[in-house]
Amino acid sequence: MARIAGVDLPKNKSIEIALTYIFGIGRTSSLHILSNTNIDPGRKVKGLDEKEVDSIRKEIENNYIVEGTLRVEISNNIKRLIEIGSFRGIRHKKGLPVRGQRTRTNARTRKGPKKGSIALKKKAKAKT
Amino acid sequence: MPRSIKKGPYIDEKLITKIKRVAKSGKKEVIKTWARNSTIPPDFVGHTIAVHNGKKFIPVFITENLVGHKLGEFAPSKIFHRHGGKKAEKITMVK
Repeated sequence: MARIAGVDLPKNKSIEIALTYIFGIGRTSSLHILSNTNIDPGRKVKGLDEKEVDSIRKEIENNYIVEGTLRVEISNNIKRLIEIGSFRGIRHKKGLPVRGQRTRTNARTRKGPKKGSIALKKKAKAKT
Repeated sequence: MPRSIKKGPYIDEKLITKIKRVAKSGKKEVIKTWARNSTIPPDFVGHTIAVHNGKKFIPVFITENLVGHKLGEFAPSKIFHRHGGKKAEKITMVK
């Protein structure tokens, strides 16, 4: 079983895809890691020996910020924006889109599910 | 999209001269400005700048954390007062 950065990699997937199960590694950095360690991206995880897994582990440890440390860094960046009272910090605090998107409609990713009033629900029912 | 690196950060030139003048005189003075789009360079640290928000000037004390941001980020131009409608009216009436 290959365990890298505290994440169990799926055995039956190719290593290129399996590495993306680690938070902070996508397809691009996955391919970078594999080319740096001279491992064919198409090989399955179960086909790798301990040495190769170790070399990947080392590569990630030295050159990438992943999992917990990355999560802490991101939350620190947001905390900083909130502390200095910038516009972006205020948007984070209010749970609204940060980068100038419209909020009249949509923006549901940030705002969460619709919290319509009862009147609105009645209207919707009457229509159907 | 950020500004091209070749051009360097945009800093309002009048604001630079004003800051220099204030720094020379050594007095603590609030500088009024409309240049919300100006980046904050490191030499502004320690000064207070009153940034226009479209209606009035909001005093912003420049600390080291604010360097690299734009002045307008610290003077919100929109204020949200709860949404209207019957529900909101009821709440205000109770109050």
